[in-house]
Amino acid sequence: MQGLGSRAVHEYFKDDFEPREHYRPLWEHIRQMGQSTLMRKVQEAHLAMLAEGVTFTVYNQGEEGIERVFPFDLIPRIITAAEWATLEAGLKQRIKALNLFLHDLYHDQNILRDGVVPAELILNGKDFRPEIMGIDPPGGIYTHISGIDIIRDDNGKFLVLEDNLRTPSGVSYMIENRMIMRRILPAFFEQYRVRRVDHYPALLLQALRHLSPRGAGAAEVVVLTPGIYNSAYFEHTFLAKEMGVELAEGRDLVVKDNVVYLKTTRGLKRVDVVYRRVDDDFLDPLCFRPDSALGVAGIINAWRAGNVALVNAPGTGIADDKAVYPFVPEIIQYYLGEKPILENVPTYKMTNVEERAYTLDHMAEMVVKPVSESGGYGMLMGPASTPAQRAEFAAKVQSDPRNFIAQPVVPLSRHVCYLDGELESRHIDLRPFIIYGGDDIHVVPGGLTRVALTKGSLVVNSSQGGGSKDTWVLANGEGASC
Amino acid sequence: MLSRMAESIYWMSRYLERAANTARLVEINLLHMIEAEDALTEENQWRPLLAITGMEQGYQERYGDAITAGKALHFMVQDAANPGSIRQALRMARENARIVRDRISKEMWETINEFWLTTQSNLTPTLRSDQAAEYCATMRREGARFHGHTIGTMMRGDAYLFYLIGTFVERADMTARILDVKYHTLLPKGAAVGSALDYYQWAALLKSLSGFEAYRRLHQGGMNPAEIVGFVIFSEQFPRSIRFGAEGVGKALAKVQKGAGRGKSLVAMQALQDHLESHGGPEQIINEGLHEFLQGCLGRINDVNLALAHDYFDMFGNDDLAAVAEQTQ
Repeated sequence: MQGLGSRAVHEYFKDDFEPREHYRPLWEHIRQMGQSTLMRKVQEAHLAMLAEGVTFTVYNQGEEGIERVFPFDLIPRIITAAEWATLEAGLKQRIKALNLFLHDLYHDQNILRDGVVPAELILNGKDFRPEIMGIDPPGGIYTHISGIDIIRDDNGKFLVLEDNLRTPSGVSYMIENRMIMRRILPAFFEQYRVRRVDHYPALLLQALRHLSPRGAGAAEVVVLTPGIYNSAYFEHTFLAKEMGVELAEGRDLVVKDNVVYLKTTRGLKRVDVVYRRVDDDFLDPLCFRPDSALGVAGIINAWRAGNVALVNAPGTGIADDKAVYPFVPEIIQYYLGEKPILENVPTYKMTNVEERAYTLDHMAEMVVKPVSESGGYGMLMGPASTPAQRAEFAAKVQSDPRNFIAQPVVPLSRHVCYLDGELESRHIDLRPFIIYGGDDIHVVPGGLTRVALTKGSLVVNSSQGGGSKDTWVLANGEGASC
Repeated sequence: MLSRMAESIYWMSRYLERAANTARLVEINLLHMIEAEDALTEENQWRPLLAITGMEQGYQERYGDAITAGKALHFMVQDAANPGSIRQALRMARENARIVRDRISKEMWETINEFWLTTQSNLTPTLRSDQAAEYCATMRREGARFHGHTIGTMMRGDAYLFYLIGTFVERADMTARILDVKYHTLLPKGAAVGSALDYYQWAALLKSLSGFEAYRRLHQGGMNPAEIVGFVIFSEQFPRSIRFGAEGVGKALAKVQKGAGRGKSLVAMQALQDHLESHGGPEQIINEGLHEFLQGCLGRINDVNLALAHDYFDMFGNDDLAAVAEQTQ
């Protein structure tokens, strides 16, 4: 990883170590605040999050589980109005195209017939669900809620690193981070007009109610969680609470005559919309994995009959399959006739003979990712790998090329963080959240800025020791000159 | 509300009440031990507590027959392997709170969460015996703080009613147990009646129920066993009497029941109330056998518990499902 830091763009500083224009008021505040105050604020933030239970639980250290606060950095990341305008337009365009893509895949498959995306890539994908061919979800929408991972490359350009169209998490941290910043560091906001993010649950509820088969007026919405041992359980309770809807587990729901009901103390109550945070595989033991205890038997049939809306729709996983990712620019072009506003990270397809050969020759400069994993698991970071690890991955790639992609190591941009009493630079990315409602696509102005807390590391996933920052999107007329 | 949520709220409040009640019991016992009494061995001092809380067998399996103050204290307060310890009751209360987190107020959640996190770290090293009483008092206060936040911030819907039901069921249960076991150890030694030891033991019983001062105010004639029994079982004003608990459950149940189909819990509740009314005054109960009477109370409280599961928590067994669905269409 040597040398990457110097290539990476710095979000905070210009080349001469002067803060960028839109960071200057913040910089002044930090300087005036001094060490002891900052240290105290860090402690306050930590205690506030612990008390509130903004935690995830690590279960492998003894039966009881250890509560960990998701590491939070005090120095906010600032995105100018102009930068945001580009991001917002690019994200909307991408989600619109991916939705059309999903609808096409589960209906006429024109894009496969036209050879834009290889048919065998889709039909052999483990996340393609032939069970749902021909079903029309309400409004033709498959991916109501998405989180798209954005990075800034060494030229300062925003690129899409990854699409998350299944059950992306992190939105609760986006909102919690802001609430904590407002409470403990209100002074930071003084010279900025920062756009709000905490209306996200209201937007989400509106989008969910809109999908009700009985009409938005009679919509019973529930959040479906795998349960308290799921690492995102905090987020599930957060969303249920903020929306004022029930938080159900699979065993709280029952399907009778293709209608989904909640088991309540007053009997069965009809359910119209299920925002499920359970993966496809576990959603319905009658349709997918028969051994799943997390799902609801018969819920897919209820969905097929049009009696319940499932959010996101089953089958969206094929569109965020990493092997499909390199085709997204063509997918946008195909359905919308537009050039992609946000580009991809250059990606080598292992199913392509030449690109595979090139990758195998340059393993030490590449990130090799298995297509079906998320959370940063099971990948090879070329520059930090040993020859033995590279040989192991080369063998894996050769025996199952469909299952891997490779990308040159992109030096993620860096940002100032306050760590252990020092101001340090760390690599960051950005996950904005997109809601595809009945009427329009909404991108909440903000997102989760993830931080690779280990010096030099490019891995930001919380499961791999990442943290996060509050993310400010400035209102128009502020910082536009930068 | 969701059946599973109702069940978790019920158990959250039961476990919290249990933790606070056990803490009070231990605290009073510790304070009571400070001054020497010849007749009172460590064993005699602690066995009743283990019996009241149903931990006698668990203790024996872990430590054998000999009961020492240090082991009993550790076992009852902080032993992570003892499901009945205060620590574990609190852990269960907090686990249930986590499940119903979206149904309870932010204040309630933060209080119980902090309560558990500080308890977890404070009770990891062995509690010093000279600090144990004070620590038990702290836990009792934290429990009360949660209760206060609940009264002050929780919406008055079904969730609140299940909270009340859990609290009163647990309280009535604990009161009956305390009276049963203490009375056993108190009464047989006829010679001691009216002695100083007798006085302090009765006083300790009342203090374990936070009823010492109230009793004194109502009954100026000293520690009279029949009056104490009457007070602890029947007082309509004392919020820890068995009758008070039964009525609290009954009122909350009647409200939950409105609009709901099944009524086993109300029937079970009525049986408890009938049992309370069916015996004359406390003298008669003592003459006919206080132990039997209290066992009758405990059995009926357990019936209420089972009926609640049948009516609300677990009403959707496969056989019943079709019938219930018909009912609610």
